[in-house]
Amino acid sequence: MDYDLILVGVGGQGVISLSEIVTEVACQQGIPVNFYPIKGMAQRGGFVKAQIRLGRKVTGPNIPQKGAELVIAMERSEALKAVRFIKPGGDFLLFGYVWAPAAVMLGEASYPTLEQVLVQVQEAGGRMYYLDPASLPLYEGTSVPTNIFVLGVAVGHTGLGEVLDPSGVARIVQTRWARGMERNLFAFQAGLEAQPSEGHEVHGG
Amino acid sequence: METRLLTGNEALALGALHAGVKVVTGYPGTPSTGALASLLAMNPEGVRVEWSTTEKVALEIAAGASWAGQRALCTMKMSGLNVAYDSLISIAYSGCIGGLVVYVADDPGVHAGMAEQDSRGYALMSDLPMLEPASVVEAYRLVQSAFELSEQVGSPVFVRLVAAVANSKASVEVKKPATIPQREAKLVRDITRFTKAGSAICTAQHRGLLARLEKAGQVIGKMGLNQLQLSPSIPQNGERERGGAGRLGIVASGVTASYLEEGFEIAARFGFERDTASLLRVTAVNPFPAEEVRALLRHCSTILVLEELEPYIEEGTYVEAQRMGFAGRIVGKLGGPFERLGEYGVEQVVRGIVAALDLPIPEDLFQGDEATERLAAKRPITVCAGCPHRGTFMAINRAIRKAGYQKDEVMVTGDIGCTILGMNPPFYTIWTEVSMGASVSLAQGYVHGGIQTPVIATIGDSTFFHAGIPGLIDAIQYQVPLTLIILDNGWTSMTGMQVNPGTAEAFQRSGNRRVDIAKLVPALGVEHFFVIDPFDLEGATVTIQRALVLPGVKVVLARQECAIQAMRRGIQAGKVRVVTENCNLCKLCITRTGCPAIGIGEDTVVIDPALCYGCGLCSQVCNREAIVKEPVTWTTT
Repeated sequence: MDYDLILVGVGGQGVISLSEIVTEVACQQGIPVNFYPIKGMAQRGGFVKAQIRLGRKVTGPNIPQKGAELVIAMERSEALKAVRFIKPGGDFLLFGYVWAPAAVMLGEASYPTLEQVLVQVQEAGGRMYYLDPASLPLYEGTSVPTNIFVLGVAVGHTGLGEVLDPSGVARIVQTRWARGMERNLFAFQAGLEAQPSEGHEVHGG
Repeated sequence: METRLLTGNEALALGALHAGVKVVTGYPGTPSTGALASLLAMNPEGVRVEWSTTEKVALEIAAGASWAGQRALCTMKMSGLNVAYDSLISIAYSGCIGGLVVYVADDPGVHAGMAEQDSRGYALMSDLPMLEPASVVEAYRLVQSAFELSEQVGSPVFVRLVAAVANSKASVEVKKPATIPQREAKLVRDITRFTKAGSAICTAQHRGLLARLEKAGQVIGKMGLNQLQLSPSIPQNGERERGGAGRLGIVASGVTASYLEEGFEIAARFGFERDTASLLRVTAVNPFPAEEVRALLRHCSTILVLEELEPYIEEGTYVEAQRMGFAGRIVGKLGGPFERLGEYGVEQVVRGIVAALDLPIPEDLFQGDEATERLAAKRPITVCAGCPHRGTFMAINRAIRKAGYQKDEVMVTGDIGCTILGMNPPFYTIWTEVSMGASVSLAQGYVHGGIQTPVIATIGDSTFFHAGIPGLIDAIQYQVPLTLIILDNGWTSMTGMQVNPGTAEAFQRSGNRRVDIAKLVPALGVEHFFVIDPFDLEGATVTIQRALVLPGVKVVLARQECAIQAMRRGIQAGKVRVVTENCNLCKLCITRTGCPAIGIGEDTVVIDPALCYGCGLCSQVCNREAIVKEPVTWTTT
């Protein structure tokens, strides 16, 4: 089965790490995989995009427009850059964090509203799963890593859960980093059990 | 056999290692960096791996090793090949002894900046063979073929990857050879081969070069690197045959071949019959695969050429078509529908097929709404929180103002690397970016051109070592009045923190020696030489302002370590906190520094402690004492 996913966000949010976990689990399950990250320079705070193509033995790195079964967007504005890649009927998971560029903070540039993003995804035929950034759970008093939580949501609620074995993902989440094993597993489990708002239930602001 | 998850860069490097490479050199450059970096991390025994000062130096070292009989690999991005080309063409004329592979990575679609150059042109210009893997898996295998080809022919061989392959990660079956035979280095004394002085020598070498390229074509043929499959059947639709559109032949070069199967599946939905199409997969892009193309032209009535950037294969196909009196159609870039820029994907395969066969497809098949993307907030890249360059840009801007000039009255030339981010908001300090080292020489041109206001050049440490020194020497010899500001953060940062000649002794490998810019510049004869601390905004401003009015060549060395590297070792420059009762949310700290660690809270600005390095520049622009910097020693517990 072919399954293409696109991940977008801002450098520093863990988009690449999240993608590497997906890639590694797929590889362990024997699913052919090509993972292509585009992250610009070494600096944080820039646009990051990753493309993961699962299931094709021979495949080019770029996913065509309207071709992705799943988009995972970790920042509200950057989500818009992935909309044209969603396959009509595909899953669009948005963690609605706002990472405002300086010009936006100063009120010199505009920033899209949640409503705008939701409308665009809907018009492209994407099935929206929305996570309020305030829903990021705490572990021992501090926020869990966003990317692991979002991965949990993706595996628990979107088509990705039918492609990747959740226990295999949990294993990598626990073993990838020497530190924070319990915290990461907690983040992943919390994602699996989270309740993202779907489609029409999302109220933009 | 072992399966490993590797990037294209890593696969290429590992393939070279398994082919018995002895010397690996290169200069960092996106998207090629990962190849040499992975070997450096492996630190393989008995293999010399180094980041060289420039690509030209790297290539010369690799060539020397090859001429001593060893296998050598040299890595670079496309811009680096421009730097190395002077030596490359000479080395091409002499040929090689041990296998010599030049790995160049191009960036169609320009994901990392710089020219969208098609380095295949260099293979044509230098008459050197070039192999182009279509995938990560092929990168591992083809680099080994490249070494074999290089030694069979006695010629350096290019391997070219595009960013999408170089940076992709996929599982690769690798096979570490049981033993890698060690070779004895040998001296070969052959003046007519390894020198160039004299027309007879050069003409003979040129003849030899052309003969080697021809032989490379034969060896490539024997190796079966270019795969030709002629279609077994002809199209059912006689109409199309009469219209001249039937019997499609597809030539796919490099990465475009990896999209074929997927494209065929989609095109089949619109009437494309897979088994009527012939296919030539071009893996060896130079020499031109004339025989295979001729076979295709004989068999087909329409040829579709799929290649990114320049239409080299397409032009070659036209030449063969003319020589054969081919009456059919060639579809590619020259007569449309494709452009000479950007990446190819499934879309181009499908569009090419339907254009060649005049098949109808829905217009919006691949067309997402591009207007959606325009709603996204602009996100210009800026320097990291704690980056010392921030202080230098701010000090340059202040010094210009304090010297009585408007911003648009003082030229500040820029250079390659993180230092170019001074072109972006909120600084808008830098006006130009050309190539490694160009800032210093361009600045001289402005002076000679008659610009009466001060001229400033800016450059990073690694870029200065790479190509800034000759420009500075020129300025010193001719005593050109300009101010060169060297932004020395101790690392080659933008490409991912490589060690360079100026990196602190503690981070140089054992036995290596640091070259200190603070000793080098005065030794060249610069009389007005200053060292500034970019985190001391007032001090840095005063020094730059002073330099602007002094005669002759002035060099200011702005020195602080890259904050990313320092923070990785747990170092903090200080502890910065907001004095909430003093902050009136005037946002001056944000407008002046653009620091990503500063955000807007309910009534005051807030500083993200996870991002803040404690450079304190924000505290120095605040005029209400609402941000204070405390020495880190007071707060550590």
